[in-house]
Amino acid sequence: MKKNTLSLSNNNHIHEHPVKLKVLLAENNHKKANALMNILENTDYDIYHIAHSGVPLLKDVEQLNPDVIIIDIESPDRDMLENLNQIYQLAPKPIVVFSEQQNTCTTVNQMVKSGVSAYVVGEVNQERVKSIVDIAIARFGLFQGLKQELADTKQKLSSQKNIEKAKRWLMDTKQLSETDAYHFIRKIAMDNSQKMDDVAKNILSVASIL
Amino acid sequence: MFNVEKKDLTLGFMPLTDSAPVVVAHEMGLFEKWGLNVTLTKQNSWATLRDKLHSGVIDAAQMLAPMPIASNLGLYGQKSDVISPMIISRNGNGITLSTTLYKKVLSQRNNTKISMPFSANILRDEIAERKTENNKLTFAVVFPYSCHYYQFIDWLKRSNISLSDINLLFVPPSDMVPSMHSGDLDGFCVGGPWNAKAVREGVGVTGVTSSDLWQDSPEKVLGLMSDWQLNHPQTTQALILAIYESCQWLESIPNRFEAARLLSRAKYLDTHIDVIAPSLLGSCLTLNEASPRSVPSYNQFATLGDSGFNKPAHHCGQNIANSMQECGHITPQQRADLNIPAIYRKELYQEAIDKLNNFKT
Repeated sequence: MKKNTLSLSNNNHIHEHPVKLKVLLAENNHKKANALMNILENTDYDIYHIAHSGVPLLKDVEQLNPDVIIIDIESPDRDMLENLNQIYQLAPKPIVVFSEQQNTCTTVNQMVKSGVSAYVVGEVNQERVKSIVDIAIARFGLFQGLKQELADTKQKLSSQKNIEKAKRWLMDTKQLSETDAYHFIRKIAMDNSQKMDDVAKNILSVASIL
Repeated sequence: MFNVEKKDLTLGFMPLTDSAPVVVAHEMGLFEKWGLNVTLTKQNSWATLRDKLHSGVIDAAQMLAPMPIASNLGLYGQKSDVISPMIISRNGNGITLSTTLYKKVLSQRNNTKISMPFSANILRDEIAERKTENNKLTFAVVFPYSCHYYQFIDWLKRSNISLSDINLLFVPPSDMVPSMHSGDLDGFCVGGPWNAKAVREGVGVTGVTSSDLWQDSPEKVLGLMSDWQLNHPQTTQALILAIYESCQWLESIPNRFEAARLLSRAKYLDTHIDVIAPSLLGSCLTLNEASPRSVPSYNQFATLGDSGFNKPAHHCGQNIANSMQECGHITPQQRADLNIPAIYRKELYQEAIDKLNNFKT
């Protein structure tokens, strides 16, 4: 990344505020860019403005790994930025698209549904832009959250499978009833402050040796 | 002739050589002839064109042939019932290598002539070398759900080169040639006028076209929302016939040159006719200052007097869906669930053509 092409919106040193989210603003028009940067100044975001397009922009995105990208709806770079996950092993980014053209509210809502995380339409003013960026991140977060939930559920299912197998082994080898086998695993887990899944895995690994 | 439900329409297009049918229909008064007042709105990205169609900001769009399928599956965007009642163009893409890469390949082959269309075999040595140096060759296409992408992958695959052997980026068409100048790209697969522009500027060598790879495969289609079509059946037919007549008009070579002039205007491609006319006239510029290669079907919009050319036959959609599955864009389950006849609506096209034939008799 060419450092001189990036400009921080304020004098904060990112290292002192590691929790701040990185917003990349891809906009060739400096006047438009400044308007948005002024709005996002003194917020929870660190805003990086990049005024070039095409492959150089792509390289900056890869280096910076932003949390959010803001781009004009009419920018030719949209196709490139929306397909980052197909190029790099980067997680998909929430993308906020802004447009100077005024559309009706329904249209905006429909466009939001159409894939991008949020649209900022019409005149840019502080309250709206800030809240739309917040919403975009939250909305995207919700989507990622659902994915996490799915991963957790899968994990839970697999741990139940382990417990089930361990129980069967105990029932077969120790002639325990199903309830007793379950209590046996649970007691070891409680005594050792371990998860039942971990105890079950230990039992199964012992079982595989015996 | 038609009682159109909506007279004033907006149609989105991307500024490419194969937008000729919609530009010509507009400029030659064919939309008006069928009772429509169409405003053409130039778009800068396929994603925005797609979102505008989905949300009703535009009534109709000239789309990449795989896009209606991608919309129906909700690939990168909201799942939406986009239909295609017409094929607007076939062929039109080319694969261009940077002159630097081409010269390197020539020297590796002791300057023996490379015949065209060339296969990706000529790149094998360079790909292997660059891969071990951890400096893979970098190519670009415009959009993932596009024939450019599937054709480029197919071209590599025919020479047993896989996607992991190279870097593949998505870059806006207008950035392709500058990125080749800067050395960021070693090659690309795009539509016109960008291949010709790279050759004219001496930075690229075009060695393959989509006519060489997938002869007469659909490239751009008319895209409508399914609901919109239901509410505007007569308007849909008028739209189909205006574009159909435009495609027929484009079958004559003298008309092709006029089309190139129209396209070069600022409101359309905003580029010199020098790079627009060749492909429309069946000429594939290869190397700067070398003879062009004759590729008569480089841009194909119709077959004179044969309405079948623009019919969105189901097998066209099936072939695209197969390509999408082969490169992992869709799962076998998604492929199996896909209902192509509900997307590629050949019966809507046929109804419009039947009306035309009735008007004539």
